[in-house]
This record gives sequence, structure tokens and C-alpha cells, in this order.
Amino acid sequence: MSTTTIPAASTDPVDPDAEKRHRAARSDRARAESRLGWYLAGPAFVIMLAVTAYPILQAVYESLFAFRLTAPGDREFVGLGNYAVVLSDQVFWRDLLVTTLIMLVTVAVELVLGFALALVMHRAVRQLRGLLRTAILVPYGIITVVSAFAWFYAFDINSGFINQWFGWVPGIDPSLNWFAGTSTSLFVIIASEIWKTTPFISLLLLAGLAQVPGDLEEAAKVDGATGWQVLKRVIIPNMKAAIMVAVLFRALDAFRIFDNVFIMTNGAYNTEVLSLLAYKTSITRLEIGLGSAISVLLFLCVMIICFVAIKLFKVDLAGARGES
Amino acid sequence: MRRRTRPGRGTAALAALALTAPLVACSGGDDGPPVLTWYTNPDAGGQAAIAARCTEAADGSYRIVTSGLPSEASAQREQLARRLAANDSSIDLMSLDPPFIPELAEPGFLAPVPEDVAAEVSTDVVEGALAGATWKDELVTAPFWANTQLLWYRKSVAEAAGLDMSGPVTWDQIMEATASQDKLLGVQGAKAESLTVWVNALVASAGGSVVENPEAPRDEIAMGLESDAGREAARILETIGAEGLGGPGLPTRDENASLSLFQGDDGGFMVNWPFVWAATQSAVEEGTLDQELLDDIGWAMYPQVVEGQEAAPPYGGINIGVGAFSEHTDLAYDAVRCIVSPENQAEYFVTDGNPPASVVAFDDPAVQEAFPMADVIRDSLQLAVPRPQTPYYNEVSAGLQETWHPVGSVDPDTTPAAATELIVAVLRGEKLL
Amino acid sequence: MGSLTARQKVGWAVITGAVLVYALFPVASVIATSFKLPSQLDTGTFLPQDWTVENYEAILSPDGAAQDLFLSALRNSIGISLIATAVAVVLATLAAYAIARLDFPGKRVILTTALGVSIFPVISIVTPLFNIWRTIGLYDTWLGLIIPYLSLTLPISIWTLAAFFRQIPWELEQAAQVDGATSWQAFRKAIVPLAAPGVFTTALIAFFIAWNDFVYGISLTSTSAARPVPAALAFFTGASQFEEPTGAISAAAVVVTVPVVVLVLLFQRQIVAGLTQGAVKG
Repeated sequence: MSTTTIPAASTDPVDPDAEKRHRAARSDRARAESRLGWYLAGPAFVIMLAVTAYPILQAVYESLFAFRLTAPGDREFVGLGNYAVVLSDQVFWRDLLVTTLIMLVTVAVELVLGFALALVMHRAVRQLRGLLRTAILVPYGIITVVSAFAWFYAFDINSGFINQWFGWVPGIDPSLNWFAGTSTSLFVIIASEIWKTTPFISLLLLAGLAQVPGDLEEAAKVDGATGWQVLKRVIIPNMKAAIMVAVLFRALDAFRIFDNVFIMTNGAYNTEVLSLLAYKTSITRLEIGLGSAISVLLFLCVMIICFVAIKLFKVDLAGARGES
Repeated sequence: MRRRTRPGRGTAALAALALTAPLVACSGGDDGPPVLTWYTNPDAGGQAAIAARCTEAADGSYRIVTSGLPSEASAQREQLARRLAANDSSIDLMSLDPPFIPELAEPGFLAPVPEDVAAEVSTDVVEGALAGATWKDELVTAPFWANTQLLWYRKSVAEAAGLDMSGPVTWDQIMEATASQDKLLGVQGAKAESLTVWVNALVASAGGSVVENPEAPRDEIAMGLESDAGREAARILETIGAEGLGGPGLPTRDENASLSLFQGDDGGFMVNWPFVWAATQSAVEEGTLDQELLDDIGWAMYPQVVEGQEAAPPYGGINIGVGAFSEHTDLAYDAVRCIVSPENQAEYFVTDGNPPASVVAFDDPAVQEAFPMADVIRDSLQLAVPRPQTPYYNEVSAGLQETWHPVGSVDPDTTPAAATELIVAVLRGEKLL
Repeated sequence: MGSLTARQKVGWAVITGAVLVYALFPVASVIATSFKLPSQLDTGTFLPQDWTVENYEAILSPDGAAQDLFLSALRNSIGISLIATAVAVVLATLAAYAIARLDFPGKRVILTTALGVSIFPVISIVTPLFNIWRTIGLYDTWLGLIIPYLSLTLPISIWTLAAFFRQIPWELEQAAQVDGATSWQAFRKAIVPLAAPGVFTTALIAFFIAWNDFVYGISLTSTSAARPVPAALAFFTGASQFEEPTGAISAAAVVVTVPVVVLVLLFQRQIVAGLTQGAVKG
């Protein structure tokens, strides 16, 4: 699974004789093949760019104007003014902090929980495997908004039952209003997010587990290693790549969190996240210019996270995702 | 294995079908009279019934179809403003929440009201409704129904507290009575539009106004919160929050949650819209609440902030506007005249519990029978004060909610100033919300 | 792993129980709420005191308060998600075939682009899309959602299918041709049966993703003409403007969750395979 393959220099798997042929003929064939390749893959490529790159460029352009949709006459060029407003406002930094906090906590918890679930699925006896997989896939398939409502209604002080059920836990009593405090609101938001997305991370980890050579595990056991030692010395080191990829994917996904916050608190009690700020500014307030600036900044944040992960932690996305 | 490809094929066929279905539906409409689309706020079906009646009355000159809007007023505004900004010609008629009307009127998203229609729909209309339908001294929408909050109380609680409910009462009195009877106060402390409604009513009742010059351009808007009225409003919120009079649910309590609280064992006093009467009645009919509870409910004018000074109850309701990009504005205004006729308003009150904007409609015997508090509602509407009529109402309201929530953290010395500072900065484009 | 000791059996029973509670409890909680009477929502109990189907009537029966909103949203969601899935899978199949079988410059560019698009912050392009759609008339239409949905469904489809296709023994095609089949026959007889399960699995995963979208749904629609289910749920209303639609939302949530559970029950093996194939290969 080389990750640095340069297509032009690689051997053709379909026709091993290619190397031996004449250079000109080869380049003709290569040209035809590359044309066909682009004919087939081109539409998907163009569409992917058209639905992301073009809008983000448009956002960059829009972000240079002060423009409110219900005051079309007042549109004016303000240069980087919108960015100055956003970056000098503590609301932006508070939201960035909240978003980052949610991202870190969900990813950390999901990694542990997802690993446990992956181990369960991996080790389960055949008769249980189907049942377990089905159960674990249910949250994966459920609409995030539905999950948000389910958790919200369960904890809500009016319609909820959690306060009654967990009255014996110190700090929880029938008068605890979960959505009237930053930490309790965030707790429920994060719980819903974790519930819904842990199956995804556990499936990525399951794929990683399948890559761990079974004989290594056996050998370690024969040498008298405990289960914990096997996990630490054999399993985890062998699936480092899988873990890294799972973490990066989930981290970027968690950074975009929107649905749960929108449904549960709509940003009250300092639970606003960056996506919600962007939404409120451009869609609710119809301030297209300011909203675009926030959108662009959010995009830059994702780029930075990605860059840091790839450069600092050497996460090889393409390689780890099976590119050969 | 091969069988699995079949769902794929079926899928494509289904998709093709689904794609063409709306087209077929559209072409079917072309044969009949022009179709007017009326975007309605949610109700118990009364607006759809009116649409049917008016279609019948139009005798083939137009047909009204209704299309539902979201439940939150701010979400309704969001949907309509976005469509109107897109010059959408499919919006003929709109049910509009008054505070958001200036924002649509200012950029010309509302078709001008013809003079004869304006004269017709503004006769015998309660004061508050007329103010809410006007922008820059011109009628821009037709008042349809008008809402106001009353003070609802449990007779047993008021009696036990020794409170005389036959005359006007003050906030201080009901707070004291609530505390002395160990009950909870049904007020709306959630970070939502209902909080703005409350704060605005308190400020107005104390003789002030949230925005001094609502018609000014965005960078010249002056707030009226840093005044005795603003501080007095803040004091009431602070007291309710600090003394726990609203209970633990206060920071997330909206109108509906206030009603549940009021119906429960902790219920004593509540400020709320008249829908609570219809809702409680139907719960009694369903058998989930006792008739005794219904018999125990009393109503009065909105509490005063300053003793002896008439309260300024919240004003709400719905006006009908006509989209500027509609292809049938003339027909649409014909339809408006039909929709807001006093008979339809009276009928709507009876079926949906939403009070009429027309004074005449209150005299309807059916209204008097279904709503024993109809006269109080009418009197309350005459005193009701709309929320600030400015194109930037969304920012004003969101800014208020940002600074006056949670109720427990309101401080008369700092909150009005903080709100002013935030809202002014936001309007100048210097801060985010 | 044939025979388990009694202790292991108990252990597995406990683990299975725990996983089931974890995965299904929130679902059970919504189901319970959906059968509560509006006036009994705040009793603080998990199960309804009096069971009622009132909430289901509200969203499904012809005179239900939320029926219009819900059924049109359901139709929109199914239609838009199916079309977005179909388009994505067709395009991704072509692209993945090229990636798996052909050698051409730019292969990595395409895969990297797909990766970049899949981590793209959706909210960032909502504002510009809203603005563009508004201008060209795609706002609040099916097409106006199908196009952005491709940004969600295409990348994962390309990755999953490319992984599937790499495992297909393409030599079979040549073998069939040697046996005298035409190249079309060879492709149909030898390759299609091998590729079909991968394509189907990919479609399922893509459908789940499109079905789940909320951000595009609330930002790019404003009426029942195109509003999908998740957005409609957030806009549900109670019996009057001020009454909470808790029961109706729960009922609708249950209705839209049923197909998901059915699909998961029927195809858990394929979904797991699809998600893990396209994923990590150390």
C-alpha cells in the first residue's frame, strides 16, 4: 500500500508487458488511458469542485461587502472590514472556544467508547454479531435532528424523566433545569452527539482491528501477556493509522456541529457554536457580508486543523484510506 | 446478488415519477381561476377555513390556497424575508407578525395598500392593531386578528393572599402574593421572542419605550432602556429571578410551559395570551384536567408597573400583507377585504381562540359566549403597545434577549446599559449577535 | 470460538444487554413520548400514563394539524435523497472504476478532492449558495437541494466504491473474453455481479447521509415545496401558535426512524462492510 505512487511511473497492473514496449507506443497508450480516466472521473470531479470551491470563492467575494438582504440599496464595499468586526468581537472567540471544547470532548469520549464497541463487534461470537452490529448501526442511521429531540425531551424540565430517574445522583433533582446552564446544556448536547456518531468511529476502528495480525496477538498471549498488555503493546500500535484517521475525521465532523445545538438551546447560555453563529448572521439576520466573513473564517479553521493533523501528527489520509 | 440491483432501478423510476409529479400538479392549476397563495402562521385550521369561504365568495375570480409557515414568529419572518428578497412572485398573501412588518415594508417588499381598501380595513379597529399595521404613517398591511396578554390567576390563590382582583393590580402585588402563597409565577423567561414581549410591556407600562426613534436609519437608532422605565422593568425581572418566583424552569419557560405550570399545583398567577383558555378547556374535555381547575381560573388586565398608571399590555396578532412581486396584487387585495371582514374575525376567534382586531367583532354573541373574558381582551387591546416598529426589530429583539437572559442575572444598574451598548453596536455593524 | 464457558456466556449477555440499551434507549424514549397525551407530557414518567395515537393522527390523518407539513416533507426528503443518491452513485461508479482500473495522472488529485470535500464545513457554503440560488431561482426547489447534497454524497461514494472495485478480480473479465464472450458480455457476466453489492452498499450509505442533512434543508428552503423532514421537524407546531408540538415531533421522528431501522436490520452486514472497506487499510 504505497502512498507515494506517481501514476505515470507505476507499473500497469492490467498489462505487465507495458514496460517492454516502445516508448512512443507506451505514451500513446498512456494518453488514451488518461483521457478515458478523465472522461469517467471528470464529471464527479467537476461537480465536487462546483458545489464547494465555487461557493467558497463567492463567499470570499461577498465577505468584502456590507450587505443586508432586506436593505439592498445599502450594499457597499468595506474591504476587510467584516473580518475586523468578527475577529475583534469576543462572541467569535467564545464560539470558537465552545466549538473546540465540544470537538475535543466528543472525540476523546468517542475514541474510548468506539474502541470498546469495535472490540465487542470484533470479538463477538457469530450468533451475536448480527444483533450487535444492527444495534450499533441504529444511531448511525438515525437523523441527527431526531437524536437531538430525543435527548432534549428526555432531559427537558417539563417533558423529561431523567430528573426523576436519576434523582439519587448528587446534584440531580426534579428542579434541575439542564438547559439553564452552560455546562449542563453542553453535557446533553455532547451526549447526543456522542450517541449518534460513536458508531461511525467504531466502524472505522473495527476496520483497523481487522488489520491487526492475529498471530502477533497469539504470540503475545503465549508469552504470558495479559489482555491489557496485548492491547497496549500489540493491538494499538498496529492500528495507529486507523485511529489517527478516525480521530481526524470525527474531529472535523464535530467541528461542524450544528443540529444538536440548534434544536436544544439555539445558542442560549453560551452554547453557541461557530456554525450557528454563521447561520444566525447570514440566514437569520440576513447580513450576507458579515455571514460570509464568518463562513470563510470557519473554512480556514477546518483547513488549519487538517494541516496541523497532517503535518504534526503525520496522519496520512490518502494512504490510510486504502489508496494504492 | 443480481437481485440487489433491482432496487436501484426501481429507485430511478420512483425518482423520475416524483420529479414529474409536482409539474403535473402545477399544470393542473392553470385551467381554473388565478390561484392566490396565502402563507399562514400555524393555527387550528381557521385560516384555511377562511380561505375556503373567501374562495367561494369570490365566485370564480380567484382561488386561495394556504401554505404553512413555522411556529416561531422569528422563523416565519426568516422564511418570508428570504423569499421576498428573492423577488418571489408566488407570495400573494402573508400572515405577518406586526414587529417584522417594517423590515418588509421599508425595502418595498409589500404591495401598497389601495386607498379604498385601507379605509375599509382600518375602520373600527383597536388602537394597538392599527399602530402595528402602519409604517411611516402609512397603512401597509390589514389588521386581521389582534392578540394581547392578560393576567390569569387562580381565584383560590388570590383569595388566600387577600388580593382584591376587582381592580387593577401591580407586579409588586402579584409577586408578593405569589411568594406569600408559596406558588410560582407564570412568566416567559426563555431566551426567545416571548422575553422581548415581556420586557417591552414592562418598559412601556412604566411609561418608557425600548426604542426612542424606531423609524431612524440603523446607525441613528436611540435606545430608551437607560431610563427610569428601563430600570424599573429590570428591577421586576431581577426580583422574580433572585427570589426564585419563576421556579427552576424559568430560564427555558415559554408560553406553553407557563400554562403547564399554571395548571399544576404551583400555579398562582400568569401573564399569557388568551390561547390558554381554549387549551385548558380542551384539556378538561379530554379528561386530563378537572373542571374545578377551569372554574378556579380568573382573568384581569395586565399588571401595572407603577401603581395607578395604566398598564401597557403586550400586543401581538397577525396582519395580512400582500407581496409586492405577486402577479395578482389587485385580486389579492380583494381577498384581503374578505379575509379581514368582521364576520370572519369573529368566527376565527370562536374557532381558533384568536381575538379579532375589529371592535365590532367583539359584539358577536358567539364570541361573548365562547370567551367570557372577551370584554377584558378588547379593553386590553385598546391599551396594548406594539413592540418597536423598526426595520431592525430582529436585531433589537435578539440584542435584548442576549442581555436580559437569564432573568436571574438581570441587574437594573447594568443590564439596560449593556443592552443599549450591544444593540447600538450591532446596528452600526461593529459587533456580532 | 465454538463453545463458551458459562462465565463467558454471562459476560457476553451483559455486554450485549449494555450495547442494546446504549443504542436503543433514546429511540425507545422518543417512541414513548410519541404516545403521550399533550396534557400529560410533563408527568416526569418514561412511559405514557394513557396511551394515545393522537400524535400520529396529527401527522398522518387527513385532518391532522401537522399532516400537510409532515407528508410533504416526507415526500421531499425521500425524493431529494433518492435522486441525490442515484446521481452520486452513478457518477461515483464511473469515477471509482477509472480510479481502480486505469492509470492516469490526476487520480490522486481526484481522491484528495473527494477527501477535502467530505470534510468541508457545510455551513460555509450555505450563505453563498443561498445567494446564488436566490438569483437563479433554485431557492426552495428540489434541484436546489439535490446539487448541494452531492457535496455530501459524492465523496464518500467515490471512496467506498473505489475500495470495493479494487478488490474485484478484473482478470475474470479477460478470462471470460478468452472464453469467447464479447467484452460487454464479459463485463455483464463477470464484473457486474461482483460490483453490484458494492454499488448497493454505497447507495445505502449515501442515502443515510442525504437523509440526515439539516443545514442545507433549513437554509435553502422556505416552504413545503422542498423542505425535507429534519427541517420540517424543527418547524412543527402544536394545536395553537403557542403550544408545544412535542408529541407530533416525536411521532414524526418515529415514522422517519422506522425505515432506517428496517434498512439497518436488512443490510447491517453490507453497511458494515461498506463503511470499513472504504476506510482504513493500514
